[in-house]
Amino acid sequence: MAPMVPSALVGPHRVDAQGRRRVHPLTPAVHWLRLIPALLLVSFGVLNSAGRSGGSRELLVLLVGVVVVAAVVTGFQYVAWTRLSYFFDSAGDLRIDSGVLSRHERRIQLSRLQAIDIVQPLVARVVGMAELRIEVAGSPKKAMLQFLTVGEATALRSEILARAAGVRHDAGEAPENVLVQVPAGDLVLSLALQFRVWALLAITVVIVGVTVATNGPTGILFLFVAGGVPIFLVFSEFSKFFGFTLAESADGLRLRHGLLQTAAQTVPPGRIQAIGFYEPLLWRGRGWVRVRINVAGVAAADQGSGDQTYTESVLLPVAPWPVALAVVSRLLPGLDPEALQWQPAPARARWRAPLQWRSLAVAVNDSVFATRGGWLQRHTCLVPHARTQSLRVTQGPYQHAFGLASVHVDSTPGPVRIDGYCRDAVEARALAEEQADRARRARGTAAPARWLR
Amino acid sequence: MSVSPKMASARRVTLVLVMIPLLIGSLALNLLSVPRWIPLVTFAAVVAFGIWAWWLIGRRVRSFGYAERADDLLVTSGILNRRLVIVPYGRMQLVDVVAGPIDRMFGVSTVQLHTAGATTDATIPGLLPDDAAALRDRLAERGEERTAGL
Repeated sequence: MAPMVPSALVGPHRVDAQGRRRVHPLTPAVHWLRLIPALLLVSFGVLNSAGRSGGSRELLVLLVGVVVVAAVVTGFQYVAWTRLSYFFDSAGDLRIDSGVLSRHERRIQLSRLQAIDIVQPLVARVVGMAELRIEVAGSPKKAMLQFLTVGEATALRSEILARAAGVRHDAGEAPENVLVQVPAGDLVLSLALQFRVWALLAITVVIVGVTVATNGPTGILFLFVAGGVPIFLVFSEFSKFFGFTLAESADGLRLRHGLLQTAAQTVPPGRIQAIGFYEPLLWRGRGWVRVRINVAGVAAADQGSGDQTYTESVLLPVAPWPVALAVVSRLLPGLDPEALQWQPAPARARWRAPLQWRSLAVAVNDSVFATRGGWLQRHTCLVPHARTQSLRVTQGPYQHAFGLASVHVDSTPGPVRIDGYCRDAVEARALAEEQADRARRARGTAAPARWLR
Repeated sequence: MSVSPKMASARRVTLVLVMIPLLIGSLALNLLSVPRWIPLVTFAAVVAFGIWAWWLIGRRVRSFGYAERADDLLVTSGILNRRLVIVPYGRMQLVDVVAGPIDRMFGVSTVQLHTAGATTDATIPGLLPDDAAALRDRLAERGEERTAGL
């Protein structure tokens, strides 16, 4: 990657008569191409049944149907393309105007920018196109720009980041420094060392076995579809994290990953709200850990999917502990997670949490509040004092009987929960009060939103 | 500060509205050809639940309390599952005042606090509407003074 792109190369945007920028004219075609797999699947199904009945009428209907669907989609996408434009307003914020039936004018406050992704779905990748996804704090939905050429998308990302940082917006792409690359072998082995993956593969075996036993080989199509789902889940995790690269630059952290669909995510500095280390049982022997982060806005968009995967908030899918710790100490300078003074939960916590009570602990130092827990999968979660949202102390009836209470530090939505389970009740209250005090002092000295100004 | 006892009345009206169909249902069991004791036991169970819930509402409403401190708001609630929430003024994103139809009949409102956190859950029910509005304004003002970025 060239360290600095000359400013003349940053600005080849398609600009319309009103001076607004346009996405690539091939956008309707890319949307259309993305329909092909579905059309093929339907056609295959219809042809299959038509072939059996030997009718040519079905074939005609199918042909007409495909043409009509293609025409409608292309027409709609063409109109959508003509209605989509974006520009930077006088306040320096990004505006995106879109919508066919109802107009949607969106203003993206760059001071609230949380993360920016360049995603290339497989079809778009084949034709060299990419989409830009922009996350801002307090917005439930990402702003999307579909589609730009990869060069345009990269240039626009640099421009948005530079404007958000408060530096010259024609400064070009900031140079980067690769921190971690996850080898494909480690990724495969890390998947093989998870019970969840084994369970999914076992489900496939059961489906295959039952289908063959009951239907004989005629159930092959059902087998293909039903048995394929668990394998697909495993493969999609592999595909998502394939070639995972974590790099840092003046713009922030850059995360790149993906085998079929590739994504390049940029998280500006200081946007990380909380960090969690997760250690499945079988990873312990190899000293591996997965690192997840809470970024305001990122996981909120994923919550609707309901499956709590938050893939976009994975900082490292698998890495040895020393590597993970080195990365985290760059994100939170001066933090050494190994030097934390862990305060284990009282021994009577075993009556409330018989499986995980040994690993339950909390720790506090000058910069973070940390909790630890878990039985088979252990986790360690950290939140910087300045990122504390609110504090809770909860006590169920059973905890009450043993004089226990849990202390929770609330972070923004995301996979990382900072829960100090089963503390002594008096201590839990004191921890919450002290943390409120530390958070207040840390907020007073927090860095400004525009990080380079 | 604790909440208005009118809150308990409002919640009890809701309870009665839920109990009526349950009582009718348990009486309607008599019309079916089932052993005599089944409707009796069901009716007794429904009545017992109603009495227990009636009593619990009173305790639960009394358990709510809040304190406006120098830098944060403290909210406590719950009997079986006890909770204490500390919300720093600088972290409040918005403050809502809500009142459903039954709450309005009894003249009580609920103040809800929202932060950027997913798990923050600070609600103060059972405030007189004027008090609720005043509390919201005070909180909003303090939030403004101390607001910090994410």
